[in-house]
Amino acid sequence: MNLRALVLALACLLAPASAAAQGDARAAEVRIKAAFLYKFCDFVEWPTAAFAAPGDAFTVGVVGADALADELAAVVAQRSVHGRPVVVRKLMQGAPLAGLHLLFVGGRDGGRLPEALAAAKGRPTLTVTEAEDGGDPGSVINFVLVADKVRFDVALPPAEAGGLKISARLLAVARKVVAGSS
Amino acid sequence: MSFLALRSLRQKLVALVLLTTLVALVVALGAMVAYDLRVYHRGLIDDMNTQAALLGRTSAAALTFDDPRVAQENLGLLRFRSQVGAAAIYTARGAAFARFQREGEARGAPAAPEAEGVRIEARDLLVFKRIVQDGEFVGTVFLRADYEMYDRVLDYAGIAAAVLALALLVAFLMTARMQRIVTHPILDIARIAREVIGRGDYSRRAQKLSEDEVGALVDSFNAMLAEIERRTGALQREVAERARAEGEVLRLNEVLEARVRERTAQLEAANRELEAFCYSVSHDLRAPLRAIDGFSQALVEDHGAGVPEGGRRYLARIQSSAKRMGQLIEDLLNLSRVSRGGLERAPVDLGEMARQVLAELQQQEPQRSVEVQIEDGMRVAADPRLLRAGLENLLANAWKFTAKTGRPRIEVGVLRDGPVAIYFVRDNGAGFDMAYADKLFGAFQRLHAVNDFPGTGIGLATVQRIVNRHGGRIWADGHVGKGAAFFFTLEYGEDRRKEPRARMEAGR
Repeated sequence: MNLRALVLALACLLAPASAAAQGDARAAEVRIKAAFLYKFCDFVEWPTAAFAAPGDAFTVGVVGADALADELAAVVAQRSVHGRPVVVRKLMQGAPLAGLHLLFVGGRDGGRLPEALAAAKGRPTLTVTEAEDGGDPGSVINFVLVADKVRFDVALPPAEAGGLKISARLLAVARKVVAGSS
Repeated sequence: MSFLALRSLRQKLVALVLLTTLVALVVALGAMVAYDLRVYHRGLIDDMNTQAALLGRTSAAALTFDDPRVAQENLGLLRFRSQVGAAAIYTARGAAFARFQREGEARGAPAAPEAEGVRIEARDLLVFKRIVQDGEFVGTVFLRADYEMYDRVLDYAGIAAAVLALALLVAFLMTARMQRIVTHPILDIARIAREVIGRGDYSRRAQKLSEDEVGALVDSFNAMLAEIERRTGALQREVAERARAEGEVLRLNEVLEARVRERTAQLEAANRELEAFCYSVSHDLRAPLRAIDGFSQALVEDHGAGVPEGGRRYLARIQSSAKRMGQLIEDLLNLSRVSRGGLERAPVDLGEMARQVLAELQQQEPQRSVEVQIEDGMRVAADPRLLRAGLENLLANAWKFTAKTGRPRIEVGVLRDGPVAIYFVRDNGAGFDMAYADKLFGAFQRLHAVNDFPGTGIGLATVQRIVNRHGGRIWADGHVGKGAAFFFTLEYGEDRRKEPRARMEAGR
């Protein structure tokens, strides 16, 4: 207990400096990821069936990453995707995923991932995660940090399953590409 | 142009062909080179623009997702484009994102991008191209390629010089051989023309070697030669004909002259015979006449008492007639004498001679009183004997025809009409009718009755003969009752047209 108290105390002592530094790096990462999320849309083609009507908004769902959702909303405020206005929604765990064109699932623990992605599977939804490096997150795009820089991997099978077409130019800048069945 | 001064048709033709070839080649080569350089220029610019656009497009994602490695890989592909010396990709903020520099290339890409565009700098083509991703400016591509325009121009100049030299050489060799086709017929005509002029041989003909304009020229030239030959022949024949005709005329002239000489000789002989006859007749007639005169005189003197009054009157008439006949014979002899013998000119004072003659006349008839006026200084070159005979006749006439005039007057003088001296003898006696002026100088032509004025009618014929023998002429002017004037010249060369001026009035 004493040891734990000591550690806590130490942590409290050290917190102001490291927490501030850690907070700045975290904010930059969120900002970059929000910008990347928006820019991914330029390199991905959605099937026409994904939109009910020609003037429908492009809907983005964000799960478990409110800061990023806010940042993304700020990024897309005056912009459009494929000529459509963009709507960013913060979603609760288990909320229905129908009508979403892009789904970002935050968090590195991976606890929420399977169910969220399972719901999106087969739909024309670009799924993006920020899972730990190494495993197969099951999403189309997965952010990774390489030498403190934001990079990403692309897995084609889930994209093909959802009818999404991903530009080769995007693949060219991906750190790793998981090839599809075909 | 200087080549026009070349003397030979061949040289002109060759020069013309070479010049034409040169111009055609220069124009053709110039056009081709210009076109090629233009194509190269545009092609290079298009190519590099496209290259820059491609680079931009492939690098847009790298820029977007901040991945210089990928951009660097893209630029690295340029090593397969040998023209590209250096390249770079800049971020939207102008920072260098990726760079490429060919090995061995001294210069790299500039530190900062410039405005979009293409420009040529020395031997480089510089391209800046903005990269736009979905309407968003994400960066700039830079390319620097070798702009080989100057090397190409030099290469083309070398090729053009070689082509020109070769083409001109070939053209020269071909023309030197083929110009014969054109020049040979013309030179042939020129040669024939020179020969024709040189030798005057119009029978030469140029050979027709072609059916073109030169062929037509040959035909015309030959036709001309034929015409000249024909005309020359005609001219020569005409000249010969004329020469022959002139010879004929000369021959006829000679014949005519011979005939004239012959006739003249005959006439002269006849004239001499006639004069000899006249002289001998006159001479021979004097002997019987003297017998008639002498015996009738003797009859009156020896037997005058026995002859009745009527018979003596007859005898007187016989004697009178014999005297008249003697005078007649004397005059005839005179006329005959002035026609014969030589003419020897000597200086004579005409006025002095007239004075002597008038003095003799005064001596024969002392009772008459005649006013005489003689001009001084009338010196002439004439035969003194003949001139005196002429003056005696003229003055005797004047003396005679003034016998019945109230205040008789005789005038001897000279008129000057240019170089010709016209002498005259004028009186104020009986005169004559101008209607008979042409009969005055015929022998035996009397205008007055013998009873009024004695005379034989031979005197003026004698005077005319004398004047004519001096080469002069004689004419008269007169009016009945107002006197007569006789004009004469003693030299050749008198102009007949001046005759009417020297009338009686002229001398007054």
